[in-house]
Amino acid sequence: MTDAATLFDLLLAGSVIALAIASLTVRDMFAAIVLFVIFGLLSALAWVRLSAPDVALAEAAIGTGVTGALLLKTLHHLRYVTGKLGEGQARDLTPIATVPAGVIWANAAFCGMITLGLALAFLGAPQAGPGFDSLVAEAMPASGVDHPVTAVLLNFRAYDTLMEVVVLLAAVIAVWQIERGLSDAPAPALGEVWQGFARLTLPAIVVVGTYLLWKGSEAPGGAFQGGAVLAAVGLLLLLSRIYVPRPAHRGLARWAFVLGTGAFAGVALLVSGGGRVAFEYPAQHAYSLILLIEGLVTISIAVTLAALFHGREPVAAPAPEGRNDT
Amino acid sequence: MTIYLYAIATLLLLSILAGLIRVLRGPRPAERMMAAQLFGTAAVAILLILSRIMDSPALLDVAVVFALLAAVTLVAFVVLASRKVS
Repeated sequence: MTDAATLFDLLLAGSVIALAIASLTVRDMFAAIVLFVIFGLLSALAWVRLSAPDVALAEAAIGTGVTGALLLKTLHHLRYVTGKLGEGQARDLTPIATVPAGVIWANAAFCGMITLGLALAFLGAPQAGPGFDSLVAEAMPASGVDHPVTAVLLNFRAYDTLMEVVVLLAAVIAVWQIERGLSDAPAPALGEVWQGFARLTLPAIVVVGTYLLWKGSEAPGGAFQGGAVLAAVGLLLLLSRIYVPRPAHRGLARWAFVLGTGAFAGVALLVSGGGRVAFEYPAQHAYSLILLIEGLVTISIAVTLAALFHGREPVAAPAPEGRNDT
Repeated sequence: MTIYLYAIATLLLLSILAGLIRVLRGPRPAERMMAAQLFGTAAVAILLILSRIMDSPALLDVAVVFALLAAVTLVAFVVLASRKVS
């Protein structure tokens, strides 16, 4: 039995590494994107084998839902909108632009340093030590939830999680600064298959996303996974142009972007005082507060990811400089 | 019993690796994309089997997410291909 498990794990680990190499070295950029999506799929399976279903769930939601669509859109943008990858587009074959040798070597040096640092950290860590499992298990009754990962993310280590939500907020602010304009792409003719698919899938995605958020307090799931799944609804609505962002929607979108960060930081500050520090939730309200934060963070993550996919602030561009002249 | 389940999971993983040939050789984007879509189905099957082997119902949630979201990339591909010169 262990042999069969070892065989499966070795095959999986080998495939993950092979796919990483293939997606970096393949000449065709479209193939590189497809290989990267498959790499994400297999690494989700690898996380499952490492007994980390929470990470597998996040990888599944982000990797299959948002990443593939985002990379495809980027490639489309480079080929047909900015025209930076003009040659060979008729055959859908994208030549990789030549990168200066200095840049390649500098990148290789930085990547090597990171790998070396990780290796040193791994080798220097106490072997087969107890880890933090017992500390977490000891503190679980005071956390307000039943799932250790959620307890660590939203309670014991909440400050880190707040910073992760801020990263998404910063990303969308940056994107809205850089890109402005109204999308003028025509509504795609998707036909009957899409109609049936949308009718079945869009409600199912909403249900599953909400379920993952709700379930996070006792089992793998939570705000990031739920938000990433719900973001897929936004992607599908944007792609099919059922929803088209308008300048008038920006106010609501801004509120949705800051909702999670604001509520998270607000709760942290409000519970402090009276002998407590920030993020030290009062025990009897811990569950409700964590659920409140997670719910609002989920909305923010879903809207932010969809906005990042759209990739521009929906206002009329001031003056087209170098965008449409190619 | 478990050894059979592992054998099936390994077989499914091998089927993904065999399908990689189509992704690498193409030649057209649609062929690469369809092969990748097939892997989503295989991954769902592997997850269902692993959920039995590892006795972890949470993996069923991962499988549901895969099954629901695999088509998002496909929709993006179809929409963007139809919008080639925008």
